[in-house]
Parts: sequence; structure tokens; C-alpha cells
Amino acid sequence: MNLLRKILHSRLFMVWGITLVVIIIGLAITLVLIAHSKRTRILDAPPKLPDTPNTTDILPPPEQVNIFLLNPTSLEITPVQVELRLYSEPTERLKQIVSALVQETLPNYRNPIPRGTLLNEAYIDSQKTAYLDFSHHLADGHIGGTTAELLTVSAILKTIFDAFPNEIIHVQILIDGKEKKTLAGHLNLSQPLRF
Amino acid sequence: MTKTRNNFNMWFPPFKSLSIFLFILILISVTHGIAQAPTVRFVDGEGETLAEVEFKLHQEIVYLPVETLKTAFDPEMTHEYHRPRKQLILKTKGKELRLRMGNTTVNIDSGKQTFTLPAPPLAIEGQPMLPIHFFRKILAHLDDVEVLYNPNLQRIRIMPKTAWALDVSDDTREWTIIIDPGHGGEGDLGCKSQNGLHEKDIVLAAAKEIKKLSEQHQLSIHLTRDQDTEKTLIQRVQTANREQGRLFLSLHCNASFSPNHKGMRLYINNPNGQPRFRTSEMPRFGKKRLNILNQANYLKQSKNFANVLQKELNFLAENPIVITEFPIITLSDVSMPAVLLELGYLSNIDDAKQLSNPDHISELAVAIIRAIQIYSASVNQPSKSNGFSERKPSDTN
Repeated sequence: MNLLRKILHSRLFMVWGITLVVIIIGLAITLVLIAHSKRTRILDAPPKLPDTPNTTDILPPPEQVNIFLLNPTSLEITPVQVELRLYSEPTERLKQIVSALVQETLPNYRNPIPRGTLLNEAYIDSQKTAYLDFSHHLADGHIGGTTAELLTVSAILKTIFDAFPNEIIHVQILIDGKEKKTLAGHLNLSQPLRF
Repeated sequence: MTKTRNNFNMWFPPFKSLSIFLFILILISVTHGIAQAPTVRFVDGEGETLAEVEFKLHQEIVYLPVETLKTAFDPEMTHEYHRPRKQLILKTKGKELRLRMGNTTVNIDSGKQTFTLPAPPLAIEGQPMLPIHFFRKILAHLDDVEVLYNPNLQRIRIMPKTAWALDVSDDTREWTIIIDPGHGGEGDLGCKSQNGLHEKDIVLAAAKEIKKLSEQHQLSIHLTRDQDTEKTLIQRVQTANREQGRLFLSLHCNASFSPNHKGMRLYINNPNGQPRFRTSEMPRFGKKRLNILNQANYLKQSKNFANVLQKELNFLAENPIVITEFPIITLSDVSMPAVLLELGYLSNIDDAKQLSNPDHISELAVAIIRAIQIYSASVNQPSKSNGFSERKPSDTN
């Protein structure tokens, strides 16, 4: 008993005790900081396009898809066949196809999507309305004019309705996550659109 | 030698036939070229041909012989040309006009009226010729006529002013017409041409020209902006509704991703157009449908106004003007018949050149004023065969 009391009151025990407490507090603070930094990284992470599903190890087979671009001779929005490796999940397919439209450059066609435009996110709701969230370039980089505005929106709508004849009925265009009434001051984008 | 001649005889007939064929071909193309000599066609208000006259180009300006006045404007017209003095005296519609070759001044009735033409009359191949500007600018001061010129088709329309004013009733004079020059200010330039023309400036110039011309025709025109200022869509709609406008015309310039797109376009707000809204139903309050007065109530009237504008503006267009319907943000909340007119493509070199020409803008203004007159007269006189009897908001599809 005396020996135990001696140990408890000894200077050595005090030093080791305090050291242990400091180590535990330090470890706790470090764990909290690590957890916080991970959460911040998730929130700040830019959206990945296309969002890779779990089964990415096997590339899907190539498919023929119609992308609608402006034919400068006929002055019509016309389909152009491109080959894409598309995932089966509709939202992922939608992201892939719209991203392909946004980036497509073919020598004999004009892409009516302003340069620099990116698809931030895409989503299909239960009423078969597709929500497409584009970067601000779609509106800010637009050349203006009613025809140009109609060509831009027609290219998006025709590409989607051609690829998703049954899965999507309407399309709502968003800019940086928000509803925008118009791209260049003419076509009303306040509601979902269809042909 | 005999063998050579035989060879020649063997080959010559086909060459001979070919030469004759080529000669005939050249002859046809030459005569066809002569038959297709460039002409200016004069038409009346209904589009009937009054005269078709060959013209000469001098420094890219169209020149017509003096006799054109006789065939297209006044059969009683007489003229004297003093070659040494290079002086031309025209007597028409009870007035005497004095012009000098190489001089841009036109003197009417010994100085009672004097005009300056952008190009002078010239003696070409010994004959006095008048520049196209003479017909565009001077004829309206000699008689009660309006003159419209389409430089693309080389067509001049001469129609009596009385044909306009005839149907203008007191009701129409009380109308306020809203002209909305699109865009404006430093924050909203609209589209622009390669040579730096801005949509906001062109549409403002056109709107001011319409307003100026409307005063001669006793029409009350209100502009949603008369300066280079930025106006929101809500402000424009509020102005139009506050002024109790009876017609709304929004003026814009077009642009495309292809430089080949050209010409004027007319647009009507229709939520069921192409593309169309998910729903075009009116909002409901319980079981009752709320009948909010907006553009959807005036669709039929807007179509009628667009048809009249189309007919009048087609004269100035190279190709027939197309009317398109889709949900238009600019017009959706306007409580009156409304049309959006695209005056031309700034992305097209020819259109941009035309839109920078004040003469073209003033001709557009004449056609627009005439369309307003025709539409309003028809609405106020529903008994007429082409009358549009709707004065109140009606159907919505």
C-alpha cells in the first residue's frame, strides 16, 4: 500500500501522466482536423464529368449517337453521328452526350454552343424533365440575336430528345445552378422546354 | 497525201459540228445577257408594275433616264435639256424643277423649295440621267406619294399617301403605339457586326425614325427608351402597360453562327410554339382558372399584326420574311398585341452594310408606319373584307 502511495506521489509518475494526457489531446485534435479537411475537400471538389460509376474497370462498347450541329449550307440544325462509349445509366449517358455536344468541333459544321461552355451537372426527375446545369459561358459568351439563341437551344433539345426519346420529355436549362430567364434576351427559359 | 486528207475528212466533220454548236451556245448566252440588262422596276401600292426601266451604274450609283418620270410617275411630264449649259428643266405635277448636270442641288418653283441630292444628275452617253436618290427623295415633294426603294431587287414602290390616311379614324389617332428598341446602355450592347456596329444603336436609330415619321401621320408613338440607356424587361413592360399601348413592336438585330443567315425575321410570343413550354395553362386559384392579361390573350391579334408587317416589309426584303412563334421573354408580359422584328443579321456582311445606311433605316420606318396604319384601320373598321375585328383579348391558342 505504502509502495503504491509512493509511486503515485513520485515525480516520475507526474511527468509520465502529464505526457500521456498531452499525447491523447494532441491525437484527438489531429483526428478532428483530418476529418474536417476531408469534408472540406468533398464540398469544394469540382463535379467530375462524366461521373465514373463503380463498374469503370470495363469500358462500355462504342455506340453511334446523333449530335445536332448547325449546317452552314442548309442553315439548319442537323444530326451528325459520333461514336461514344456510353454508360447504361440514363443520367450518366445524358452527361456524356451533352458534354460531347458542348465540345464537338467538326470542320463542316458550326457548333451553336458558345466556346468555353461546360456542363456542370445533369439530372432527370420523375416527370421525365432533364435539368442541365451549364457554366456561365453559355449565356455570357453568347453572340446574341434571336436566331443564334434558338439555334443554341435547338441543338441541345434535339440532341437530347434524339438520344432519349422515351426517358426525357422536357429540358430545363440552368446556368451555374440557377434558373435564368433567357440566354441573350429573347427565348424564355423560365420553364422546361420541349419540341 | 490522200491518206492525210482522208484522215482530215474523217476528223473534220465532228470538229465542224462542235464549232457550230459552240457558236450557237455563245450567241444564246450573249443575247440572253442583252435581254437580262439590269432594270429598275416601278410598282404601285398593290405591287402592280408601272414601268421597268434599264439603268446605268456610275460609281456604284444607279442612274435612270429622265423619261422614267413620264412612264412611272407622271405621263404629263415634260422636260428640256440645254446641253451647252448642262441644265435640265422638268415640268411635272404643276411644278418646275431645275437641275444642273454634275450639281446636287434641285430647285423647285424658282427657289420655293431646294433639296440637295447625295449624287448629282449626269449626262451619260449624251443623255441626261437622274440618280436613284432623285426618285427616292424628290417625288414625295412633288405629289402626295410615299416612295420605297429595295436596292437588293432594284424595285421602287410609289403609292399615294392618301391610301394610308384614308382609313385612319379618330379611334386610331387615339392609339398609343409602343416601339421598344431592344437592349441599350453599356451593360447590354446586344449583338454586334464585324465592323463594330452595335444592335442597341441601330434599333434606337430605327425607333427614332419611326417616331419622327409618325408625327406626319398623326400617330402617337411612345418609345420604351429614347436614349442609350439600359432598361430591364420589367421596365419595358411597365412602360408599355402604363402608356396603355394598343400595339407593341420590339426592334432587334439578329445574329447567327453562320454568316450566310440574312434578312428580316418576325417573331410572336407563343408558349405553344417551337420550342414550347411544358405547360401553357393559366394559373389556378382553387378550381378557378385565373385569366391574367398577358401576351397569351393577344395571340391572334399579334399574328394579324405580324402578317401586316410581313406584307409591308416583304417589299424591302430579298426573300420572303418568315414569321416564327416561340416563348419570347420580351413579349410575354405585354398586355397588347405584340411582335418582335429582327431588322437584319449583323453577322451577315450585306445586312450589316444595309443597317448602317440611314436611307435603309428610313425606308424600314416608312414600311412599319404603313403596317401600323393598315392594322389599326382594319381593327377599327371590322366590316372591311380584310378587317381584323378583334379589339379585346380573345383566344389563347
